[in-house]
Amino acid sequence: MASSFKTIEPKDIVSTRNLLHEAIPITGTIVSGTYADNNIKNYSHGMFQSVYDYPYLSSSANHIVDLTCGYSSVSGLSGAASDQNAKKINIYNEMAQVLAGFDESGNVRRFDEDGDLSGGTKINEAYIINFTRLLSKDEIKKGSFTLELGVAQNYITPFTERIKLTDASGSTGYKVNSPAGEYGILFAADSAGTPMEVDNRPAGLLFYQAGIAVVSSSVFSGQSAGKAHSNGKGIGLLVQSASMNETHENISAVLTGSAISSSCAEFRHRLYNLSFNNTTELNSTIYFCRASHNDFNYSANPTYLSSSKITVKNNATDSPVSFATTVGLYSADNELLAVAKLSEPLKKDPSNEFTLRVRLDY
Amino acid sequence: MGFLDNSGDIILDAVLTDTGRMRLAKGDGSFKVSKFALGDDEIDYGLYDKNNTNGSAYYDLTILQTPVLEAFTNNMSSMKSRLLTVNQNDLLYLPVVKLFTQSGLGSAQNSDGFFIIPVDKSTVETGFGDFLGAGLLNGYRPSDDPARIEVQQGLDTNELPKEDPLNDQLVETQYIVQIDNRLGQIFPSADNAGAVTNTNAASNTQLSPASFAFLDDDGIANYYFVGGNSGRGYVNNLGATEASSILGPRGTKMSFRIGASLELRNSQYLFDQLGTVGSATIANSATSGKALAPATNAYKFIDTNIRVSGVSTGYSIDIPVRFVKLT
Repeated sequence: MASSFKTIEPKDIVSTRNLLHEAIPITGTIVSGTYADNNIKNYSHGMFQSVYDYPYLSSSANHIVDLTCGYSSVSGLSGAASDQNAKKINIYNEMAQVLAGFDESGNVRRFDEDGDLSGGTKINEAYIINFTRLLSKDEIKKGSFTLELGVAQNYITPFTERIKLTDASGSTGYKVNSPAGEYGILFAADSAGTPMEVDNRPAGLLFYQAGIAVVSSSVFSGQSAGKAHSNGKGIGLLVQSASMNETHENISAVLTGSAISSSCAEFRHRLYNLSFNNTTELNSTIYFCRASHNDFNYSANPTYLSSSKITVKNNATDSPVSFATTVGLYSADNELLAVAKLSEPLKKDPSNEFTLRVRLDY
Repeated sequence: MGFLDNSGDIILDAVLTDTGRMRLAKGDGSFKVSKFALGDDEIDYGLYDKNNTNGSAYYDLTILQTPVLEAFTNNMSSMKSRLLTVNQNDLLYLPVVKLFTQSGLGSAQNSDGFFIIPVDKSTVETGFGDFLGAGLLNGYRPSDDPARIEVQQGLDTNELPKEDPLNDQLVETQYIVQIDNRLGQIFPSADNAGAVTNTNAASNTQLSPASFAFLDDDGIANYYFVGGNSGRGYVNNLGATEASSILGPRGTKMSFRIGASLELRNSQYLFDQLGTVGSATIANSATSGKALAPATNAYKFIDTNIRVSGVSTGYSIDIPVRFVKLT
């Protein structure tokens, strides 16, 4: 009996898993001025602001990141006089309970500077960068994250001195004690000039699967910042505090005296560059479609026949020949479930055999 | 769809069809690949230069340069012609599936080249009267009307006598019929045929429609018919002495009628969405019937195709039909 289908045996089906990485570079100017902030969406609730890669009223715009900031209720910045005090505490607690979890008493854990939850220094005030799934996909690739911040004292020219936060040890030294998956420690080092008091200090956390960076506000604080900050020494990471706005307020003053949206705007003003590689986990099924020498040598293409006579033959003894351009994968009741196209026609005659490897990714 | 880059190694561009995605989304295990087929939709075998004087290496030069389109995700748009496995390399002829259109035998198309299907009682009786001629299928009461659609399979050549038996490997025994389920259903053609004299007689027995095997995501119903299916005679052998469009050795024939869907019968909605206002008179070859003239009976119509494919031999044809309804 003639047939146009061939059964795929179970041994011809294989499942595999591959990781696909994309480089995600975010130039600082996109978030801090290229579009005159028409790509920044603020909300009436004031809890966070969204950053797009193009003015957000355009259908071309992609939502890339959400920015917010907050502090713990035990932070020295917390106080009734602080602007949006409750919301900043709520944001901190929300992110902390999702990313750091709860302690044995059911209290929200604070972010820990070195990931050792048994004690040590806590990050009590933080900027939180939530990358959209469009960017982070399944996870941020460990060891690929770089955030470069302008930390010069002068507000107008913030990038003359810069620090770079990286998770350089992330590929080998990440933590697994978070309820939100794996995370690495962000270390800060001088990038331009020598703004840091001591290089390679912990300055935040990067949650790989959650796609969230928690950046300690100490990255903008100098040694004499006055108020408690998250490096555990009551001082910031810098030699001199950065002026966070035109009135020369330091980060503590901004976090207490400004709304979340304004605080985030000042953070964006100092964002020089951000880059990482994302990871997409591809689960694939490979179907080996084997055409042996006596398979698929004829065609039901209407042009194959002229008055029922095979056009590629002169005599019955000539070898039949056909040309495949497509592989169709079918269910048992002949429902076409998947299609694979060859980039060029593949000749089939009784003198050749081939195996087509069709991979479906999920 | 663009063309695939064919400047380097052969690559495969694989996608799930929309039906495949639907089956996956259902999560009921219905997404299970169990067989494959090879297609050659882009190939024009007329370009195969089998008499090239430079030798066999030149026969397929043009065909191998054929650009190949990216994969379509619509399951109906791909794999329209499939490669065929036959355990014999010395065949010179392959069978085709051909529409039987001989007039006077209930299977001819209308003079417009369509099978016209009036969808409701009013369109049948007011538009065409009690008697429907060639190419007019009664979509309201399919069993009332002797007209049918019939396809026949065999070697369509004068070079072989029709009395010769068709190679067993080439006889098609199973057909797939695909029709837009929003528009119509498949009914058996067996057979009030010769007995019916008045197509609207209340006493005429109505046969039940066939059951489709599955409905795809676009609402295309797929019917399977094998020889002796349900005793309704959808698929039968095609005898050497029967009237036929096949010139040479014969295989099987497959015949059916079409009933309009409830939606078409009871509503103008799909005619407004998909249809066109009729401007030409639709002839009725029955001597005592009427013609549907838009001047006196305004109507709308929907044109569609019904695809009939041989499961074993892979050959398929699209049959144009026109659903008609008075407005």
